[in-house]
Amino acid sequence: MAVREAEPLSSLQEVREAGLDREDLLGIYRNLLITRGIEERGHILYKQGKIPGSFYTGRGNEAAAVGVATAMGPNDVGTPLHRDMGVHVVRGTEPWRIFAQYMGREGGPTRGRDGNVHMALAELGLYTMVSHLPAMLPVATGMALAFKIRGDHRVAVGWFGEGAAARGDTHESMNLAGVRRLPIVFVCDNNQWAYSTPTYLSYPVEHIADRAAAYGFEGVVVDGTDVLAVYREAKRAIEKARAGGGPTLLECVTLRMEGHAVHDDAFYVPKELFERWSEHDPIERFRAWLYEHAALTETEEDEIVSGVKRLLNDALERAEESPLPDPATLEEGVFASPEDLDAPHHK
Amino acid sequence: MAELTYIQAISEGLRQEMRRDPRVFVLGEDVGVYGGAFKVTLGFQEEFGPWRVIDTPLSETAIVGGATGAALMGLRPVAEMQFADFVSCAWDHLVTVAAKQFFRARTPIPIVVRLPSGGGFSGGPFHSQNPESSFAHIPGLKIVCPATPADAKGLLATAIEDPNPVLFFEHKHLYRRIKAEVPEERYTIPFGQARTHRPGDDAVVVTWGAMVHTAAEAAERLAGEGYEVEVLDLRTLIPWDEERVLESVRRTSKVLVLHEDTRTGGFGAEIAATIAERAFEHLDAPIVRVAAPDTPVPFSPPLEKAFIPQVEDVVQALQELLAY
Amino acid sequence: MSTETQIEVVMPQMGVSVSEGTITKWLKQPGDPIARDEPLLEISTDKVDTEVPSPGEGVLAEILVQEGETVEVGTVIARIGAAAAPAPPTGPAAAPAPPLAPVAAPPEPPPGSVEPGPVVSERGPEAPADEWAATDNGKRFISPVVARIAAEHGVDLAVVPGTGTGGRVTKKDILAYIASRAPAPPEEPGLATEPAPAAVATPAPPPPAQPPPAPATSAPAAPPSPAPPAAPEPLQAAPGEALEPMSAMRRGIAEHMRRSLDTAAHVTSAIEVDMSRVVALRQKLKPQVERDHGVNLTYLAFIARAAVDTLADYPWINGEIRDDQIVTRSFVNLGIAVELAEGKGLIVPVLRNAETLNLLGIAKGIADLAQRARGKKLLPDEVQGGTFTITNPGSYGTFHGTPIINQPQTAILGTYAVVKRPWVVQDELGNDVIAIRPIMNLTLTYDHRLVDGALAGRFLRDLREKLEVWDEAAY
Repeated sequence: MAVREAEPLSSLQEVREAGLDREDLLGIYRNLLITRGIEERGHILYKQGKIPGSFYTGRGNEAAAVGVATAMGPNDVGTPLHRDMGVHVVRGTEPWRIFAQYMGREGGPTRGRDGNVHMALAELGLYTMVSHLPAMLPVATGMALAFKIRGDHRVAVGWFGEGAAARGDTHESMNLAGVRRLPIVFVCDNNQWAYSTPTYLSYPVEHIADRAAAYGFEGVVVDGTDVLAVYREAKRAIEKARAGGGPTLLECVTLRMEGHAVHDDAFYVPKELFERWSEHDPIERFRAWLYEHAALTETEEDEIVSGVKRLLNDALERAEESPLPDPATLEEGVFASPEDLDAPHHK
Repeated sequence: MAELTYIQAISEGLRQEMRRDPRVFVLGEDVGVYGGAFKVTLGFQEEFGPWRVIDTPLSETAIVGGATGAALMGLRPVAEMQFADFVSCAWDHLVTVAAKQFFRARTPIPIVVRLPSGGGFSGGPFHSQNPESSFAHIPGLKIVCPATPADAKGLLATAIEDPNPVLFFEHKHLYRRIKAEVPEERYTIPFGQARTHRPGDDAVVVTWGAMVHTAAEAAERLAGEGYEVEVLDLRTLIPWDEERVLESVRRTSKVLVLHEDTRTGGFGAEIAATIAERAFEHLDAPIVRVAAPDTPVPFSPPLEKAFIPQVEDVVQALQELLAY
Repeated sequence: MSTETQIEVVMPQMGVSVSEGTITKWLKQPGDPIARDEPLLEISTDKVDTEVPSPGEGVLAEILVQEGETVEVGTVIARIGAAAAPAPPTGPAAAPAPPLAPVAAPPEPPPGSVEPGPVVSERGPEAPADEWAATDNGKRFISPVVARIAAEHGVDLAVVPGTGTGGRVTKKDILAYIASRAPAPPEEPGLATEPAPAAVATPAPPPPAQPPPAPATSAPAAPPSPAPPAAPEPLQAAPGEALEPMSAMRRGIAEHMRRSLDTAAHVTSAIEVDMSRVVALRQKLKPQVERDHGVNLTYLAFIARAAVDTLADYPWINGEIRDDQIVTRSFVNLGIAVELAEGKGLIVPVLRNAETLNLLGIAKGIADLAQRARGKKLLPDEVQGGTFTITNPGSYGTFHGTPIINQPQTAILGTYAVVKRPWVVQDELGNDVIAIRPIMNLTLTYDHRLVDGALAGRFLRDLREKLEVWDEAAY
């Protein structure tokens, strides 16, 4: 079973066949803008000293994240990573909570217990990543196992990067998922750089998706800057999994447009690579597509852009009003109590 | 009440939990058709089917990580490590993911990892370890070390009910050597409650797991010399029954902490430190530790015998303590 | 041999006023390896006999002061060389035992015997039990729980028999002790007819200065020496018997008593004293003294005051034989035997310059010493330097005894119960009549080497006289 390289989307007709109407498309555009807006503002806050610790962004990966998340069903679950802000946005995480998370405040999803993108809201079907990549792949595999055991028609989406693909967790997860034909989609955010390590030092084959064959399922490579292509391939994979067709490995190829984190200027990335990929900016690309294929008007765009700006301004204000955690509560919540199991997502 | 071996009690307890709660399932290497390396789940697949008694590939990471994911989805996984030693391959998933998830995200991880542990049968460095102390140091994990069939069954039920990751250390040396009455009905034993295995006022041995029986035998010998040594079985290390230990210390004023795990950084050190902090003025002798030396578990029988604390070692240490 | 690397061993000062010490035994010979804190020699001072632990580790290079010699405190008595130093030219050196052997290390196994595997010790207690108990300054280790219980119950640990390692007082010991004394009357420095010290008088130096029990490995040879016993076989109790180790104090008393009997020629004389005047006077003064000075005016104070006064005329009874000289003094340092609780021991604090004190001063002095003796608060100087001792075993009704002299003194006065007896007296007409009088026996036990019976008799006669015709103005 060879890897399949997905075709780009070209017409509104194709998009409609994939299940998106015009409103959905405008919504995708809006989510892309929110995703980038959050990270751009976070970047500024970080440089202002308002965010402690490190700061990571997913610039260049917005379409991959938003595209996959848009394809997920309401009861599906996922374990997004630090380049996948778009997943949180699409699933409905309020931006103010993300800012509060950045700033280590009570209003953040981890209430200051963890920082930056180490967050997720379980009520939205998202589960918090850890720094040890791709440790969430076995967890996502376990979620899929639960769906299989129970006969739920739900799908788990596990994200990982091409760098983390080198670790054993990736293999064990895909192997178990392949053996048991679990309802899971493995999404590889291949942004070509694992911190400073290029792809040819991370894996010796052409595509990460080539590995899928070794586990007995399909591997697909898609242009990660093409939100609609990503959406279409993710949708196919998710629905295939839901239907009992087993896992898919979906590799979204992008370029990490900034350093590993704000403290990294990415000097090791060839300049011409940045130049070439900046012509494929996922948001610009989709905006142009909307004008060309979906009759986006400037008025509509202005409305969307100013709406996003307002949203983020309000969010920032609200986040800054959120209190810092009380040190007296530090030792609370190391262990769960039986009543903590009563949360809806846990039934 | 039936007489069951330690392993029968675990098996029986697990079966009862699976009958009681459809969310409970078992996953691990060779747990299905084969019934597990030690046959704890023998016959389970016939009763519960292949999707509740899941044979996995040789993938400790995926077993524990998978259990975590399934728990997040509302199931109650009971993962089996074929030997406790192999849990090192799943360290990341216990320590990085499961132990910290609730603290970070308020999502409980109700998983049980069963860990056949301990030596005494020439298992060598990779089939004989007692790694409970390593995990006891990780906030967010619970550590259970039953010593008797009845405790094994009751503590297993509690572990499965518990909303946290629980490491259930089953001592292999006890599997078929210990036989005792075990209630047939379901029951739970609360964590953090030590059990008086043998009463006594002259000194107390604080221990757990297989060493409870070593201590009891040593105490029996000393009874012949006119000493009554209490054997206190902690049953769980996280949480551990500090108050009960301190009560014994205040009463006997002489403490021996015994464990099969190696000495340095062993949980005995934590117990000794706590006693020194909280019951210093009740001590009539230095706290004594008897533990394995700081070496890997050796293979050859005389070496292994020298490694694992023997009844004679405990007797000797107690004699010195009692005479102090 | 470079002296720069050598460690000097000096005669220690075993008490504030101790100025010299006698070497009774060297436990190591030149060339022997010695570990830090390992017993090196035994010394005797006028206060204590004790072991001296080595101040350092190495090889005993030379002995500068031989057994039997007495030198001043601070005198260099030996030198210890570096461990690597060659053996000094004192003939074949002893077996090269490892110099790092801990104080209480088990004996070297005989050649060919099987070394115990290292594993057992690795799991066992870190130190041999003996090391736990005896600290290097010779004090017995007091565990936290024992210290706490002692403080809570006001127990003087020196009087509690210890059954732990090295005679250490264990928790069980102190609890048993408390249980046993529970019904006893509260302790106070009872004197004369009140509850009072009993039995024989002996100087028992305060326990902290007592030598620790000999480690099981101390010298196996048995040269004549006051050293603690060498490694005995553990005793077995016969059916019906119980074994209890001697406390350090008990051992000190035993040794001291024996030494006195071996030294002095003991003779005891007794006399009966009509205490009518003392009784009357005491009744009169007691409430006032108690109120004004907080002091219990005891019969002992009267007797002590009278004895001190009498001693002025009998310098030999207040004297001492030193070598072939007779020492007499212009002062009286009066020892008062004080029984510690439950008869577990005695201590003899000394009331210095008692000749300068009046009745009240003596009463106060005795009360203070007795109280501090029981509270273990005496200073080392306060239990030595006595010239004459009074012991008062009469409080339980005994009317006679033969106390043992507190060496190196010459005599000890025993006081006994004041008993009402029919007594022949003369009425105004010079006729004999029988009256009821409070009568007390006094004994003087004296060293016949220096004091003859006639002298003792005269002393007792004069003392009786002073008590019977007590001149209030004179005291």
